[in-house]
Amino acid sequence: MKICFYPGCSFATSAGYKESTEAVCRKLNIELNEIPDWNCCGATVMFGENKLRATALAARHFALVQTMGFEDLVTGCNACYATLRKAARLLTEDQELFQKTQEVLQNLGLKLDRIPKIRHLLEVLMEAMPDSTSDRYKTLSVGAYYGCQLTRPDQDLDKGDYPEILEHFLDRIGFSVKEHSARTQCCGASHAVIYKNECQGLSQRIIREIANKGAEVIATICPLCQFNLDQAQIQDNGPRLPVTYFTQLAGLALGLAPAELGLNKLLVSADKVLTRP
Amino acid sequence: MSQNDTNPFSTIAHLESINQCIQCGTCSGSCPLADLMDHAPRELFALIREGAYEEVLHSNTPWFCVSCYACMVRCPREIPVTDLMYALKEVITKQGTAPQNLKMPDMYQAFSRNIKDTGKVTESLVMARYGMKHPMDALKNIPLAIKMQMRGRLELKAQKVADPKSIARLFELTETSKDKP
Repeated sequence: MKICFYPGCSFATSAGYKESTEAVCRKLNIELNEIPDWNCCGATVMFGENKLRATALAARHFALVQTMGFEDLVTGCNACYATLRKAARLLTEDQELFQKTQEVLQNLGLKLDRIPKIRHLLEVLMEAMPDSTSDRYKTLSVGAYYGCQLTRPDQDLDKGDYPEILEHFLDRIGFSVKEHSARTQCCGASHAVIYKNECQGLSQRIIREIANKGAEVIATICPLCQFNLDQAQIQDNGPRLPVTYFTQLAGLALGLAPAELGLNKLLVSADKVLTRP
Repeated sequence: MSQNDTNPFSTIAHLESINQCIQCGTCSGSCPLADLMDHAPRELFALIREGAYEEVLHSNTPWFCVSCYACMVRCPREIPVTDLMYALKEVITKQGTAPQNLKMPDMYQAFSRNIKDTGKVTESLVMARYGMKHPMDALKNIPLAIKMQMRGRLELKAQKVADPKSIARLFELTETSKDKP
């Protein structure tokens, strides 16, 4: 399988998301075709600054995806996912905005004829990962954490407040899944970086809820969620739960070594819980 | 509370949807950072409806919206709360009325400037630019930055698109835009 991949700005420095995504895709024969010369999607910043600019930054990718000959664009970051989707929705609904965006793109030597379908890497691996045939991780209990922007606002992939797709994924690939109520509670996103004290409680609530329900590990699907939940624990005396990416757990399920999956990059070490006979 | 005859927010798409607001407070109750807002969303919409535009222009509320969309999916009247927050931020930015002591506009500016210069975001460079205005915040993050560095997660070199001028051009082309937020 070949996919057109948009890594986003946080992918390379995230705690092993890049390593594990690449290793898992290699193992599953998924060819990751990175959009050449991709730019920042504008994240949660640009739509509050200038709508046309935000749309143009996102649409530059849509034009590039088209030149690559792909119908879909896949990203592993919730903020990229929601931002690109918002731009795609606006370009479809608002003809005037589409025309203005097109003019900007033409000035850059690009042209937009069709808007790609924006998909999350989780959807791709949901389809591509084989069912588990081993009991190796059956005793490892995982709490799935989605963050905000996978199912909101669109709610087409799964329910807005209480999605289950990640639980199904983890269960299918051989982990023990723990139910909890914090799956889409907000971690504070970029506000947590500069409003540390004010946002600490948001992450604490998520971590404690997941720990209270008996999980030993958290599975995330977004670099900023991973970062916030991971770093909040090193300044807190609460429970310590390694905050992994779903791709790292997928890699373990496929029999890949933790070192190949960048698991050494977590702030809260996963060594103890992942040491399995 | 001062009243104003001309609504500075009148060009915002779907602003009329707040006429449907039943003031139930589901948005404010769902908001992770409502505690930091001077007027949580329910109240902000009431102020707009009452024409208290000056109050809204100087409100910190849109700057504490984290874009989690919890309010938007729960609103019983299907008001696009988060989208309205983005649009309010754009109007307030263009009018230059954001509260002076707020940190978030500086963070957003540092972020936006990094994209304009390089086409991509390099977190350490955004923090460095933001830190010029808020040195204590930047200093507080140094222990964490060291931990990140030890795990090979701190990139100090700018990530860049092949031709940063093309992104600068995109910024210029959208600079004087008088488009509807």
